[in-house]
Amino acid sequence: MSIITKYGFAATIAASFVSVTPVMAQTEYQKKFEGVELNVMNPAFPQFAALWKFLPEFEEQYGIKINVDEIPFDQLRQKSLVEMQQGTGRVDVFAVDVMWLAEYAAAGFLAPVKQYVDNPELTAEGYDIDDFLPRVLSGTGVYNDTLYTIPIGAGPVGTTFRGDVAEAAGFTLPEKFDDSFTTEYMYEAASKVHNPENGMIGFANVPGRWFWGVTYLPYLYAFQTPETKGDEYVGEDWKITINNQHTIDSIDYYVSLKDFMPADSANWGIGEATQLYQSGGAFGVWNYQDFITGFFEDGGNATINGKNKHLHTPAGPHGVIDPWFGSWGMGISVDTEKKEAAWTFIQWLTSKAIQERAIEFGAGPSRHSTYKSETVAEIAPWWTDTYEFMLTETNPDERIRTPEWAEISDIMGEEGNRVWIGEIDAAEAAANMEKKMTNVMRRGGYFIPGRTDLPKQLWRDLTYYDRLPSEWN
Amino acid sequence: MVEVSMASAPAERKSFWSKLGPSNKKVFPWVLMAPTLIILVGIGIYPFLYALNIASQNIILSKPYIPRFDVGLYQYQLLMHDPEFWKALRVTLLFTIEAVFIEFWLGLGLALLFQRSIRGASVMRIFILIPMILPPLVAALIWRYMFFPGAGLVTHYVGGLSEWLGFGQIPFLSDPTLALQTLIFVDVWEWTPFMFLMLSAGLASIPRQPYEAAEIDGASAWRVFWTITMPLLRPAILIAVVIRTMDAFRTFELIVVMTRGGPGNATTTLNVLLTKTGLEFFDASKAAALSLLMMMVIIVMSFVFIRVFRSKTEVAE
Repeated sequence: MSIITKYGFAATIAASFVSVTPVMAQTEYQKKFEGVELNVMNPAFPQFAALWKFLPEFEEQYGIKINVDEIPFDQLRQKSLVEMQQGTGRVDVFAVDVMWLAEYAAAGFLAPVKQYVDNPELTAEGYDIDDFLPRVLSGTGVYNDTLYTIPIGAGPVGTTFRGDVAEAAGFTLPEKFDDSFTTEYMYEAASKVHNPENGMIGFANVPGRWFWGVTYLPYLYAFQTPETKGDEYVGEDWKITINNQHTIDSIDYYVSLKDFMPADSANWGIGEATQLYQSGGAFGVWNYQDFITGFFEDGGNATINGKNKHLHTPAGPHGVIDPWFGSWGMGISVDTEKKEAAWTFIQWLTSKAIQERAIEFGAGPSRHSTYKSETVAEIAPWWTDTYEFMLTETNPDERIRTPEWAEISDIMGEEGNRVWIGEIDAAEAAANMEKKMTNVMRRGGYFIPGRTDLPKQLWRDLTYYDRLPSEWN
Repeated sequence: MVEVSMASAPAERKSFWSKLGPSNKKVFPWVLMAPTLIILVGIGIYPFLYALNIASQNIILSKPYIPRFDVGLYQYQLLMHDPEFWKALRVTLLFTIEAVFIEFWLGLGLALLFQRSIRGASVMRIFILIPMILPPLVAALIWRYMFFPGAGLVTHYVGGLSEWLGFGQIPFLSDPTLALQTLIFVDVWEWTPFMFLMLSAGLASIPRQPYEAAEIDGASAWRVFWTITMPLLRPAILIAVVIRTMDAFRTFELIVVMTRGGPGNATTTLNVLLTKTGLEFFDASKAAALSLLMMMVIIVMSFVFIRVFRSKTEVAE
């Protein structure tokens, strides 16, 4: 594995300037945006920090000033929705998590972007929307057949382990997507190296109640059978189906990882778990592939850099591997009067050149060309072996894309966390989840007899997401 | 005729303004109060009526496509049947009562202590008041890092001591009971100075004569405290306790920063639940109903305090 170091950054930046596709040229029409200021709201995540390194170039080239409002992830949805429902248009561009698109789009808070993609005065010829991976683009940005956001990156959720610690303990970790990497294997491997007295815990999990909608889900999915895949939350009639043995088993497994955790960890979020791993105090940790460079391979942490094995989440007892993918798209506020300038910014940000150059600083790919890039293969090889998965296996709808997702996720986290602290058992949690989620769906009008405008359950036929990006409205 | 009509117009105007002037003892006080009343209606009565109106509908701000209609008292009914509401109410009351109780006795103890002549009292007073001066958010952040698992000052030393004694790590913020007690501890740290300040002012206003009479009669310090200090301090106690109770009932920053209502929902108070309902799920109508219920609880609690203290003061008099 060739990991770029901080000392090598300068040379690589210089090389990337000359080796990749040049950045988009400003059109005559876009000159009228000179002097415009755009407000952008995004999460405080490393992949965004990577992209923002290039902002001075954009501002110089287009004369558009970008004001970035970086918000902690767990507050972003709330702040975005407050801005959106006020309808002031103060924020021109929103970073939209794949799981929030349905909520924002159904409420009419985002402007469709296809008209801008097709406008040659606003979109450079080399932009090539069909260069985006179909499932990544449609999964991130399409709602009701309409394109609302363009992805800045996408990736699966996985696990990261210390390969050197495994070897010292006398075993070798499997490769990514290998069937032998199962939930049982992961627990046993963590047990082998778990030695808190010597400052090494087996696995740094993320049990805080606000994170279950991201960190527990891969296990909920992995514990399904091939027959129950797709029915984790709702049946075809939208009735909640989460109260079943697979859910109970998955919660029990997730909570069993508590065996490796410090006593005071019930509120741990991604930050706490990652910090412990970064300091060399944990053998394994949750990861999101877009965080790998920023969190685990940034070149500045000799304890872990270059010693990690980045795997997928383990396969469940029935051999099911989680098809989860997370992604962030950039969307334009329906209320802004600067939509064309906002699109100018988005098309620059998501261009081939910027995407490829930003990879080394921690951004993720969403284009074929970036995945296939030799530079990317060299500096971030964990992307290359993910390409096929993102093309054919991944499921944008694993977290069902309905406007009710935020509440469903909150319920799951609250009940799951109660199991973690020993207040209730997994069976009670599953029963509570079903009851509360049913109330949410009832309030959302899903059980009104004869209602015909309910969202489509697209995860049951993923070919929907495989359309060419240019075919969307 | 023309001259007469021209002369009568200014006379009428003068009579209108004179009706509002100081000579009209019935109207003039209202004129003076009008600006205040207008502001009161604007920032107090109108929002209250607006909240009542919203609570009688089904407005979800993040779902503007859902048709809005009048639902009467349905939102209140929903809350009354929601176990989450009752759990949050229990947590809020426990937090409020326990915190204010401890703060009161600690504050009173400190105030009594500082009545004596202590060397360096003025400097110590400043140090005691520091927690109260800090913005609640800053105080909460400081304690969050003090209790940071493994690396915080408290978790490191107290946890280390506990492990050395063979009790293992203390899950300050991970155990449902301990998490609430930890929050109460921090609240006590922050707001005991307020009680100290209020009660010190109350003690300073008590006349010396009753104490001199008690000294002549040979009354014990305990008897002097219960029969002179406490009865005469009641007005200050009432103000301090009512203000602190209302404040503790609405505690927000401390909980959100340190536990965010967790683990599970062990530290989810009504205010945290309100924020979740209103600003995470954007259920404006349910949030309005919840805030009105919270207001009712605060009014009832304040009313009970005032009644109890007044009746005791009357008995004492």
